[in-house]
Amino acid sequence: MWKWKALKEREDGSLRPSAFRRGVVSSRAASLQLSNAKEFISLHRGAINSLEGDAAEGRYLLSAASDGTVAVFDTDTRHGHGHGHGHGHPLFHLSRAHKFAVSRALWYPVDTGLFITASFDHYVKLWDTNSTQVVLDYKLPAKVYGIAMSSIATSHTLIATATADVQVRLCDLASGAFSHTLSGHRDGVMSVEWSSSTEFVLITGGCDGAIRFWDIRRPGTFLLLDQSLSQLGTRPPLLPSPSNNESTSLPTSSKSSSSTPILPAQKRTSHKKIQLKPPTQWSHPGMASSQNRATAHYGAVNGLRATADGFYLLSSGSDSRLRLWDIESGRNTLVNYEAMSIQASKPIQLAVTPDSSLVFVPCMASLKAYDLWSGTTINSYRGHYESVNCCFFNAQDQELYTGSNDRQILVWAPSIPAATQIEEADSEGGITSIDQDNWSD
Amino acid sequence: MAESSQSQSGRKKRPRSESDDDPDADADAASLQSIQLGMLFLFSKNDLTFTDTAIALQMMKAQFPKLDKVVVRPFILRSQLYSSVKDRTQVDRDLESLKKEAVVRVFKLNTGKDDHAIMFMDDYLAQMENAVKRYDVKDKQLSEVFDWFKQYVIKSKTDVSISHPELCSLLSNGGDVTEKHVTLLINAGLLTRQLIDQNLYWFVIPNIGSILKGLSQGRKELLSLIKRTKYKEMVLANLEKKRLRLSPLDIRFHIRDLIGSGLLKTVQSPIGLLIRLSRD
Repeated sequence: MWKWKALKEREDGSLRPSAFRRGVVSSRAASLQLSNAKEFISLHRGAINSLEGDAAEGRYLLSAASDGTVAVFDTDTRHGHGHGHGHGHPLFHLSRAHKFAVSRALWYPVDTGLFITASFDHYVKLWDTNSTQVVLDYKLPAKVYGIAMSSIATSHTLIATATADVQVRLCDLASGAFSHTLSGHRDGVMSVEWSSSTEFVLITGGCDGAIRFWDIRRPGTFLLLDQSLSQLGTRPPLLPSPSNNESTSLPTSSKSSSSTPILPAQKRTSHKKIQLKPPTQWSHPGMASSQNRATAHYGAVNGLRATADGFYLLSSGSDSRLRLWDIESGRNTLVNYEAMSIQASKPIQLAVTPDSSLVFVPCMASLKAYDLWSGTTINSYRGHYESVNCCFFNAQDQELYTGSNDRQILVWAPSIPAATQIEEADSEGGITSIDQDNWSD
Repeated sequence: MAESSQSQSGRKKRPRSESDDDPDADADAASLQSIQLGMLFLFSKNDLTFTDTAIALQMMKAQFPKLDKVVVRPFILRSQLYSSVKDRTQVDRDLESLKKEAVVRVFKLNTGKDDHAIMFMDDYLAQMENAVKRYDVKDKQLSEVFDWFKQYVIKSKTDVSISHPELCSLLSNGGDVTEKHVTLLINAGLLTRQLIDQNLYWFVIPNIGSILKGLSQGRKELLSLIKRTKYKEMVLANLEKKRLRLSPLDIRFHIRDLIGSGLLKTVQSPIGLLIRLSRD
């Protein structure tokens, strides 16, 4: 088997330990099946909208449901039933966390001492985990679809909120007030994500189909993703391409990604011509005005996920397309992820493996895993009875947790658990074969 | 390349497998001839190769069903292209470069989510001519806007949509542009307003409305045909013999389209190729 040969190679130095680890991790991530050993007993009485593991240990899973409840599960089941809770039961279950559905629950990025929940009752609440009490809450003008906190931020503790209102508000944890209001979207904002490479860049996806990049140190959007601007290949070409997509008869700004609205350069004017208002915009360097109507999807953008290296962005839309964008050039890489159907009404949660090889997309009642770069379907996970809303990939154990409208949280684990292989090898001191009976001598 | 032979031999009814005996010998010969003709036109700028996508487009154009009532030049749906060429990402990229070279034009259709129709540029221009001739222009002065449209807008704007200020500025390269000119373009069927945004227009293929209705109804009929079977599957040979009541397009057009959009899938079996309804 591959792993034993690779272990021998690692031992004698022909395979580097990091390469060995990468091989093991990626083979496990590609072989997920419904787990026999682990389960979570969900006490939620509503659809599960969000699943999030903590960044510090990857151990505690926070789930939020449509009946206003929030629960925390311990994903590490090796340590027995020490907590006094049954196997798979939540560590705690808040039954009246919010009045209406909780759309998203996040851990505080630094540790598990705090968590933040956002709900359709217009509130974003900050909770202390140990006492399970609300420490701070923010009232927003419309129902909150999603929240995000930057995991690499060292100079700010801002929560970005995506609401049904056209403005994105940033709530400051340190002061308890709103620090920024970002306007530019023309309809509600459904998904929000901080950049994984810069702590000041926020990415929002709206119901109007636009994806905007905001640098919070300056006003305005600096990049708007347009699905018609594309590049052939996952990296921008080194030499400029001979034909440019924006080659109209008008001059455009030098940075192709941020486009000012097309100022009409009319050759002949007459008093009967159509009156075009000069767009009111700041002459701010690198700012895309709110009149830029470029859309990234033909429907609402309901899921955003940046890859861990910060170069690419995945966006899913209610037009049932998943698109991969190159953040640096702002262009659509035209990777086509095979046929999927994405639910249109709710925000969904995508998951990407940390080595950016697989992307997990909830498609109606199943979850599909695609290869990130080529778009081929690797696997399709069917286990839920109703639409899957959220998924979380635990990078420590290479497990996938999915939550759906059928109120269940399912665990998908690699088909060969690593622990039993090591135990078998230890007990017998040699290579075991798969079909060796344990009662034969 | 194995890829090109597969797409060449795979005709409408054999999307992803080897070709068997084909009763349509004349379609075969016609497509071969058109491929040879197409080879002359489809060399891309950079090198002398042509892509699978281009070959597939030519073949499907040759197999476009002949309609009796409406005169429409052949167009290909994007989902049909996906079902005949294996690598979808490559299809997207090839299509993008063909669009930029103005060999084909892509239109967004309003049937269902994310439907696109691909038409060769000369077909589209011929279709446009027919539509303009048929449209009775009351004010003869305004009819010059069609020439402006053809000369300035189509050549430079290769997207599926255009905004109002940009349209006016491109048209004004030909002359003074008023609201009436834009209205004329919309009435002749060359542009449509977008529902979400009033300042944006979609490019459309004129006189295609009845076919689009047939397209969506034919899809539904074909899907219900398969849903009614006991195991939600049917042998391809039997399926092709059926005729759809509600759609003027033939059944192979719809089968290709539905396979490409993922609603149907093909399964190899000892009997032959089966078409099965795909579970979500």
